[in-house]
Amino acid sequence: MITRFITEVQTAFNPFSPRAKSARLFLSFLPPNARSSGMSITTRLLPRASDAPSKLYVKFRDGKELNIDADNMGIKSIIEEVDRHSRILQKADDLAAA
Amino acid sequence: MPPRLRCTASARGLTAAVKPSRPSAALLRPATPAVTSAARQYATVSRGLSLPDDYVPPTKPPTARPGETRKAQLLRTYTSLLRTTPVILLFQHNNLTAEEWIAVRRELKAGIAAVATTGDASADLASKAQLQVLRTSIFDVALKLVEFYDPSKVQPTSAPTATGKRVKVTYNHDLSKAAWKAVRGVTMGETKIPETSTYAQLSPLLVGPVAAFTLPAVSPQHLAAALSILAPSPPKFPAPTRKKSPGYHEPITQSALQKLLLIGARIEDKAFDMEGVKWVGGIENGLDGLRAQLVHMLQSAGMGLTSTLEGAGKSLWLTMESRRSVLEEEQNGGKTEEKKAEA
Repeated sequence: MITRFITEVQTAFNPFSPRAKSARLFLSFLPPNARSSGMSITTRLLPRASDAPSKLYVKFRDGKELNIDADNMGIKSIIEEVDRHSRILQKADDLAAA
Repeated sequence: MPPRLRCTASARGLTAAVKPSRPSAALLRPATPAVTSAARQYATVSRGLSLPDDYVPPTKPPTARPGETRKAQLLRTYTSLLRTTPVILLFQHNNLTAEEWIAVRRELKAGIAAVATTGDASADLASKAQLQVLRTSIFDVALKLVEFYDPSKVQPTSAPTATGKRVKVTYNHDLSKAAWKAVRGVTMGETKIPETSTYAQLSPLLVGPVAAFTLPAVSPQHLAAALSILAPSPPKFPAPTRKKSPGYHEPITQSALQKLLLIGARIEDKAFDMEGVKWVGGIENGLDGLRAQLVHMLQSAGMGLTSTLEGAGKSLWLTMESRRSVLEEEQNGGKTEEKKAEA
C-alpha cells in the first residue's frame, strides 16, 4: 500500500465483531514510522455490545477525503481504493520532480 | 566386523579379478557370497535386541500431525498457557519495531515490579508476567482444543511394551488423533459452537497481529499496573509520571504504546472487553477485598433476617404479655372488689 500521501486516518471499530477485521488490518498496514512522519492516526474502540458499523476515514495530502465502508469491504478492496488516489498523487509527484 | 554397507568397490574388484571380461554384470551383482553371509550374521545378532514392529516409545506417543514441527510445539505451548494462565490480555500491535518492543517490555517489567504487595508471591508474579506475540491461527486452534476437547473421554488403546507385552495406553495429549478429530469437528462445523462459549466470543479478536500479556494469577493490583503502562486511561489507571519513570516518556516508548491497542481479554476462562478489564483492574485490595465485601454483605443480610424473624415473635410476645397484664389486672381488680365487699 502507498502510504506516503496519507495525512490522516481515523478508525472506530468494535473488536468483538467479525466485521471489524478489515479496519483492523488496515491499521496493521501502516508503516512503523507513520506517526513520526506526520500521519495522524486516531483509533476509537467501540464497546463490546455496540452494533455501530466500523468507521474508516482517510485523508490525503491534497485534501481528498475518503470514507470507506470497512464493514462490507475486504482489506484488498480497501487497499485498492486507497491506492487508486495515491497513485495519482505519486504520478503528479514524479512529473514535478522530473 | 563386516561392513554395514555393501562394499561394492571391493566386490567389484573381486569379481573383476575372476571375470575381467564382464565388468557391467559384476556391477549389477549384489555382492560376493562372503560378504552376504557376513551381513546375514550381523542381522541375526541384531534380531535378538530388536523391538516389536509396532513399538511406540513412551516418551514419543503417536501424533495426528508431525509432532516435531515448530507449529505443533507452539500449539502445545499455547494450550498449556490457556489452561494455566487466568489473565490474558490481547493487544493488537501495529508494526512495532524491535527497539519499541524492548522499550515496552522494559517499562512493563519496571511497572509490575513496583507493585507493592506483601509476600513472595508478588515477586514471583512480576517475574512471570510477560508480553508475547502470538501466532493467531495456532492460538485459535489452541482455544478450540481447550474448550471443546475433553481428554478424559478418550478410550484407551493397547500398545506393546519393549518386551512385546501389550498394555492399555491412553493417547489423549493435545497432538493426539482424538484431539485433532475434536478440533476438526469444530472447524468443519460438525460440532455446533454455542454463542455463549468463550471461543465464539474471542475468535473475532484473533485477526491480524495479536500480542498477549499474560499474568499467572488473578491479581488486580498487578493488572492495574500493567494497564496503566500499556493502555493508560487517566482517572483510574494514570500513566506513570515523568519523574518516576523517565523511560516511559521517551519517544520510542511513546510511539510503541500508540501502536498497541487493547482489544480484549480472557480472564478466568471468560471473555472481557476493555471496560471489563478495567473493572477487574479496579477491584480494590484484590480478591481479598472482594471476599471482605461479600462477607460484609452476607453478615448484614443475616442481621436483617434475624431481626425480621425475631420481629414476629417479639410482637406476639408483646401482645401476649399485654393481654396477660390486662387479665392479671382484671383478676386483681375482681379480687380487690371481693376484698372490698368482705370489708
